[in-house]
Amino acid sequence: MKDKIRMILFILILGSLLTSVLLFVDSYASPIIKRNNILKIKKSILTALEIPYNSKDITDVFSNNIKIVNKKNKTFYISKTGDVSFKMSGPGVWGPIESAIALKPDLKTIKSITIIHQEETPGLGSRITGKKFLDEFKNKVITPEIRIVRAGQAKGNNEVDAITGATLSSKAFEALINNQIKLYLPLIKGGKK
Amino acid sequence: MIFTKLKSTEEFKTVANGLWRDHPIFSMVLGICTALAVSNKVDNAIAMSAGTTFVLVATAVIISLLRKLIPTRVRIITFMIVIASFVIIVDKVLEAFFPGISEALGPYIGLIITNCIIMGRAEAFYIQNNVHLSILDALANGLGYTYTLVSIAIIREALGFGTILGIRVMPAWWTNWVIMAMAPGAFFILSVFIWLSRTLAKIET
Repeated sequence: MKDKIRMILFILILGSLLTSVLLFVDSYASPIIKRNNILKIKKSILTALEIPYNSKDITDVFSNNIKIVNKKNKTFYISKTGDVSFKMSGPGVWGPIESAIALKPDLKTIKSITIIHQEETPGLGSRITGKKFLDEFKNKVITPEIRIVRAGQAKGNNEVDAITGATLSSKAFEALINNQIKLYLPLIKGGKK
Repeated sequence: MIFTKLKSTEEFKTVANGLWRDHPIFSMVLGICTALAVSNKVDNAIAMSAGTTFVLVATAVIISLLRKLIPTRVRIITFMIVIASFVIIVDKVLEAFFPGISEALGPYIGLIITNCIIMGRAEAFYIQNNVHLSILDALANGLGYTYTLVSIAIIREALGFGTILGIRVMPAWWTNWVIMAMAPGAFFILSVFIWLSRTLAKIET
């Protein structure tokens, strides 16, 4: 009996001690993590719109150069040159992918794409964040839709080479882009008229 | 003379065991899951090893300090909550201060909890030994894990991507062996590694 009480007490005390340590770490880290995430989104939008910034003045550059337009709960980020950017999100292979796309003023040509968040396999699917892959999207046309094809076979101006060894992530990203463009484009087109 | 003396100390044995004789990966064959998953790029391997080594050392300190207090029947639960707490701390700290690494490793940080090296060492060593031996053991095992992961990653990244730490090492005509970047490549290299080291260390199965 005494042993059992000791056992329960030990686990209870250790558990509560460690829990309070975790609470402390979390209360300390959470605001920083939140700030990191906001900065990251701003950084991705700026990169997508190809507005130069350096890591210290992201917030300033963002508020000086970008007009935020809300339409039916969707947020659009419009640059001074008329390029339109918005966030895209959807399922990846393991977890959600969040990305930012910027379209040129004609709303047909991609200016560039950046990844905000992804949980793909490190070293394989995670290469969707690589410059080489993302640069392929530049100046591609989104009509009728973007197609990610087997590496080395991209020919059309709406086709992009997939990542070798990461077919599923490439496919997921293709679906994400097309779905989100379908969702966002009518809204911004309606707004421009 | 000094070396033979040194060789018979507890400390030397502990370090030698972790680094070579009872090497966590090729001798005990623990921690294979992460060794396979996170060894395709050198930077990922380094970050994973650093995280695991930190959790290993922290667990060693706590468990060996509490070893006389921990009731035998609940020791596994104790290990679990201690390890899990430190992994969450690593995860939060990386996310707050090193967002780049945190993103690169993604779900694998959580996997440190299930890394059997930590559980195995806690059960086999920290629960029976004093703090400074336990810390030595944790460091030795962490280092053993690190050099294995990094050397596998060097081979896989060089063959699979043509780079090491993102710097091009292979000549321009080199065609990347995509299979090396994928799971099968990990199995090939890891098994060759285990085979070679077991032969060298003369471990009988």
